[in-house]
Amino acid sequence: MSDIVLGIGDFGVSNDPNATIKTFALGSCVAVVLFNPALHAAGMIHIALPEMKVNPTRAKERPGFFADSGLPLLFGAMARIGCDKKGKGLKIKLIGGASIMDNNEIFNIGKRNLIAIKKLLWAQGLGAVAEEVGGTISRTVSIHVGTGEVRIFSPARGTWTL
Amino acid sequence: MKEKTDHPLHQEIAKIAVLSPNASRLLEINSKPDHSLNDIIQLVKFDAALTAKTLRIVNSAAFNLLQPINSIDRAISFLGERMIVGMVIAESAGEVFQKGLPGYESYPGDLWRHDLFTAFASREVAKYAKEELEKELAFTAGLLHDIGKFVISSHLEGTAEKAVKVIDSGEASDYLNAEVQFSGHHHAELGFELAKHWKLPEAIQEVIRYHHEPSKALECYKPLVYAVHLGDILAMMSGHATGSDALQYHLDGAYEDYYVISPVELTKIIADTETQFRPALTSLDNSQEN
Repeated sequence: MSDIVLGIGDFGVSNDPNATIKTFALGSCVAVVLFNPALHAAGMIHIALPEMKVNPTRAKERPGFFADSGLPLLFGAMARIGCDKKGKGLKIKLIGGASIMDNNEIFNIGKRNLIAIKKLLWAQGLGAVAEEVGGTISRTVSIHVGTGEVRIFSPARGTWTL
Repeated sequence: MKEKTDHPLHQEIAKIAVLSPNASRLLEINSKPDHSLNDIIQLVKFDAALTAKTLRIVNSAAFNLLQPINSIDRAISFLGERMIVGMVIAESAGEVFQKGLPGYESYPGDLWRHDLFTAFASREVAKYAKEELEKELAFTAGLLHDIGKFVISSHLEGTAEKAVKVIDSGEASDYLNAEVQFSGHHHAELGFELAKHWKLPEAIQEVIRYHHEPSKALECYKPLVYAVHLGDILAMMSGHATGSDALQYHLDGAYEDYYVISPVELTKIIADTETQFRPALTSLDNSQEN
């Protein structure tokens, strides 16, 4: 069994049915999780911020840090393992986008991440089939490539499936 | 010198090793508004072990230099005061930062990563202060703000699930309040006691004590306390928390009295912090292993 662990701004794909793709401790960050049930192929990206324009150097070093520089690369990587280039046939799930208590509009980066991601997906005619977003909790997420099962863990709150 | 305090956990706190003389001197220099980098260089120069470690860090793979740096002056100029503070604190108080926090269901190293991210984030936030603020002090205060978690953790063991439940149900207003419900203390208060034991500069003591309740800080320290209040929140938002208390605190919107930060600027603060945090974490972790 091989595990792919993604840090902030990383993305990864796999069609190894024994593999799991995982990322830890999403706060305001958002994980976009892709699964193609026909091909048993999965992908994930850990997005920290909506737009690369705030730090183009960072975007160059780690494009997955930003929604606009990262998402196209995730879909490209999925295409390289046999999925449709435009994302047809993919089940999309969104996890994360939390905030601190009493946050104001400026600090609600989780919400801004989600809006940016959804806009980019809509532009491709895509949308999420499930989401576990918002609130004030930290989430660790994993997808099992063989089954497509998405599991979420939060400290002191346990584990559940999405 | 004996310090008098009535705090019920005084004896437990008094057992925690004090900071090394060099660490104390460095923090003292760092908290003076008129100090220069040369003051830091002079301190490091007269400590052979610290000099060697500084050179090892600057030439580590994390900084990817084309030419090695062999002079201590140049090494410190390149790394900046903050990296020297990070290195000295990591060495002098490693016990506090590197242990796991079972009371928060958090793992060894989590507190150090949270504090280091908070330090860089607080320094970035300080750049947006309405009135000039000592950025290197914001870094140091950010690094030290959560030392109380080391003290309180053992008193909170087995309470993490209950703590999030009472917060979710509204019986506790935030994690600080939940800590008081389950242990009679909270980490900011115990951190303040440890700060006194360590004889930290007053500004840093104030940050440790009020980083979740910045409006209670002395007026003269409020800009600094709010910088760390925000830096701490940004660390939790960015996934660098310490377990069960992640995001379980309030944002005090009165930071706007001291800071002007637009939505785009806030995302820039996060991206810039992450860029500085990664190589610092790698190089400081490696230097501790050597």
